[in-house]
Amino acid sequence: MITNFDKIAKYCGKVVKKCWQNLKENTFCLETFAVLLYNLFRRKFDRRICLKDLSLIRNFCIIAHIDHGKSTLADRLIEMTGTVSKRDMQDQILDSMDLEREKGITIKLAPTRLVYDFEGKEYILNLIDTPGHVDFTYEVSRSLAACEGALLLVDASQGVEAQTLANAYLAIDNNLEIVPVINKIDLPSARVDEVKMEIEDAVGLDAEDCPCVSAKDGTNIDQVLKAIITKIPAPVGDETKLLKALIFDSHYDNFKGAICLVRVFDGTVKAGDKILMMQTGKVFDVTEVGVFVPQTKIVDNLSAGDVGYIAASIKTIADVKVGDTVTSAENPIEKPLAGYKEVQPVVYCGIFPVDGAKYNELKDSLEKLKLNDASLHFTPEVSGALGYGFRCGFLGLLHLEIITERLEREFNLDIITTAPSVSYHVYKTDGSMVEVSNPSNLPTTVEIERIEEPIVNVHIFTPPEYVGSIMELCQDKRGIYTDMQYLDKKRVELKYTLPLGEIIYDFFDSLKSRTKGYASFDYEMAGFKPADLVRVDLLLNGEKCDALSLIVHKDKAYNRGRELCERLKKIIPRQLFEVPIQACIGNKIIARETISAMRKDVLAKCYGGDITRKRKLLEKQKEGKKRMRKIGTVEIPSEAFMSILKLDDEDK
Amino acid sequence: MKTSKTTLNKENRCEQNISIYVHIPFCEQKCNYCAFNSFCASEKVKDEYLDLLCKEIQVRKIDRKVQTIYIGGGTPSTLSCAQIEKVGKCIFENFEVMGNSEFTIEANPNSITEELLKTWQGLGVNRLSVGVQSLDDESLKKIGRLHTKMQAVEKLELASKFFDNISADLIVGLEGETSEKLCNFANQLLSCGVKHISCYLLEIYQNTKLFELIKKGKYHPLDDDKTIDNFNALADFLQEKGMWRYEISNFVFPDFESQHNLNYWKRGEYLGFGLSAHSFLDGIRSKNAETLAEYKKGKRKYEKLTKKETLEEIIMLGLRCYAGVELDKVKRLGYDITKNAFFEEYKKDGILIQKDDKIFLNPKFYHLSNTIISNLFA
Repeated sequence: MITNFDKIAKYCGKVVKKCWQNLKENTFCLETFAVLLYNLFRRKFDRRICLKDLSLIRNFCIIAHIDHGKSTLADRLIEMTGTVSKRDMQDQILDSMDLEREKGITIKLAPTRLVYDFEGKEYILNLIDTPGHVDFTYEVSRSLAACEGALLLVDASQGVEAQTLANAYLAIDNNLEIVPVINKIDLPSARVDEVKMEIEDAVGLDAEDCPCVSAKDGTNIDQVLKAIITKIPAPVGDETKLLKALIFDSHYDNFKGAICLVRVFDGTVKAGDKILMMQTGKVFDVTEVGVFVPQTKIVDNLSAGDVGYIAASIKTIADVKVGDTVTSAENPIEKPLAGYKEVQPVVYCGIFPVDGAKYNELKDSLEKLKLNDASLHFTPEVSGALGYGFRCGFLGLLHLEIITERLEREFNLDIITTAPSVSYHVYKTDGSMVEVSNPSNLPTTVEIERIEEPIVNVHIFTPPEYVGSIMELCQDKRGIYTDMQYLDKKRVELKYTLPLGEIIYDFFDSLKSRTKGYASFDYEMAGFKPADLVRVDLLLNGEKCDALSLIVHKDKAYNRGRELCERLKKIIPRQLFEVPIQACIGNKIIARETISAMRKDVLAKCYGGDITRKRKLLEKQKEGKKRMRKIGTVEIPSEAFMSILKLDDEDK
Repeated sequence: MKTSKTTLNKENRCEQNISIYVHIPFCEQKCNYCAFNSFCASEKVKDEYLDLLCKEIQVRKIDRKVQTIYIGGGTPSTLSCAQIEKVGKCIFENFEVMGNSEFTIEANPNSITEELLKTWQGLGVNRLSVGVQSLDDESLKKIGRLHTKMQAVEKLELASKFFDNISADLIVGLEGETSEKLCNFANQLLSCGVKHISCYLLEIYQNTKLFELIKKGKYHPLDDDKTIDNFNALADFLQEKGMWRYEISNFVFPDFESQHNLNYWKRGEYLGFGLSAHSFLDGIRSKNAETLAEYKKGKRKYEKLTKKETLEEIIMLGLRCYAGVELDKVKRLGYDITKNAFFEEYKKDGILIQKDDKIFLNPKFYHLSNTIISNLFA
């Protein structure tokens, strides 16, 4: 109360000063005075309103399978509530990265505060957008933990998909009220009633009166807003208690440092407060708090029930851990919020600059990306074939793809990525265990007692006619069948346990091609299991190329080795001399191909002294070589290093 | 490369002798493989062009002695006696041509006549370059050449009555070619008195008739492996006959080396007149307009060579011919080629041969010179 009084006094002082100035300049009039006074009281008045009618706040998110129209629905909600004027409306506002717009997926969470008048009352609806992809499951779960409810968006023609279910279960785990919404009812292939049944059968939710919308056309969006207000509970919390807030996301701002995106459960936070991050134990001085509309807007404070951001001159994003609890440094709460987890990378690959001289540029770029992405891990690595680069860890394949694409697009770097690998637990005969994420670091066979590989539980949703083909695929990928359930006549859920290493190759592509794109899948980590694994090495002209080594199951080693040799033969251009390509396990050669020597690579005479044309042709040839790497005397194009990935495509 | 004159006088570059190239873009018929600036034209167009050409020679004349003249094309032998005389006179009126200078004119067998030969001789031409290309009638017909084997042999024999220094072109890689046939062609050329043979690989360019024919499956050039095998067989044959390979595509009996080409390869200076002709003067390469309309306006493109480009030229030209590359010369321009990642490897594999301060490309690897040379660029 005293602080508020101080503020009023301060503002009154300003009013008096302004009036005095106006009097001096003979510009004083009653109107000005009235405006100044009105401002003074409006501030006070506004604060009283925001201060605390929790029943007028709803915190919700939208969960959906990729492509079911989540971002489009979010856009319509923003538009309907007038948060962004139609003129400024760019499609899919919340997907702020170009890459996200292009891929049609949301990677980064972007909360937005919507204001909506309903039955004479003004509600604040905090929309927390979530990434739907399996790679970001933990981040999704933290976003969900920041909400009281979720809209479960289902495509009216596609029906329930793997991620629909995975995300719905996550929401149920977080005790959220789930409101099903059926989208794309404008499509001729829409089958609203069947999809309602699917939602009821597969997810176990009552979908009878759920809003059926077309986010594209804007049909029935008001029903969604109504459902948010009437079905999702208002937050409960106490602003007079000690500060308790959940970090559900973070990003880096060049001026303000790392920004925490928070949901406040209890208490109040404002500029000048000292806050404590309970997991990291770090203390920071809050410089600014605010909300997203969807642009940032500074507010006086954030209190129980609010969703917003805290800036506190935090230098590195590593200090802002998603899932951490923010409390007051002076009066901390005793127990942090439950559910904190350190995210660990599951997929690794080497990233090298095509032009070796650009190592430092690559390093700077990775560091810049890391500013905004605490889940990106990288350590320097030296490869005999590729020189200096980094071994990078990612949350999944999509994450890997996003990072490599951003390096190429945003930072204009030409990079070589090696085939992705998982992290193996290698138990040595001396009783110790090492984690190996780079095949060339695998200890020698005599040193190894056993190798354990990461295992995942996979859920696949498919129309029944593809079950046979999928089972074949899973078997081929060393999968173990666990369960199969008919959700209805048109959808089957298959459950398998698979080695993660088999999934990261081309599982998703194969699944899509075998099912004409109808199947969807999702997975969760399920520990480690011993497996009979070996390393296959590639020799080019007798010289080992470390960047092409891979760890595979013993039964598949011969096939992989042969396929890889064949593929490299296609990719590697003819050289000045004949080049043998060999695959081997240890010293044993398991496959061999030969690239015959180049024959004709010469230009005819200089017509009329046109030396420039000839020089330019050679210059261009030299330029093309920049994408080549030299292994001993053999030059290989950078694509070759990713070729291991595509092995299985070939035999289809 | 210094001329003896500059060594003696220590004069600046301006005193270097130059070469002159004159482009005659006209042909009786465009060959199927041809992607160069040549076309059929009426006598009226030819006269107009020659007027422009002479004007250009007058306008661009400089005070330098001329060591070689080369009239190329197209087909300069399509010009009448009066027309070629006009060109020749114009050169001599505007430039001081040295007494011992080489003067080459390109000719196609079908257009060679005794009258033309006499006129050329009268003008001071002392070297002929004849576009024989093949001595197989079917091959000739398929690539759109107008002469027959018989004509070629007859005209070469006729020409050798007027000129001692005759060069002939051969194309390697044509449909149906075998190494025996190819060597046999060369043998016949030598018996006609040819002293210099330029052997080119058939190159297929888009927008040529040959490209279309190949696409439709109506022409089947030799594959790369056979082409190179044939070329190598031809090279061996010519060398057995006493010729030496002084450049990738050129074979010659000693003392008949083309001074004009040597000037190109040694980065000597030259002026090129006529449509799309190239010049190199004071470190600047320039090119005339490619269309008549633009040429009329006197449009030219200039390119001042950077140090990097100069280096690339020295390496490219030096390795493509017998002259090699002086390591020290390259180093003085700021590039230590011996530090190139490929240098030692190429030496070890016998691709590069080092003799004192010079490196040469092993002729066994001439057919792979693009890869090797571009790898050796800075």
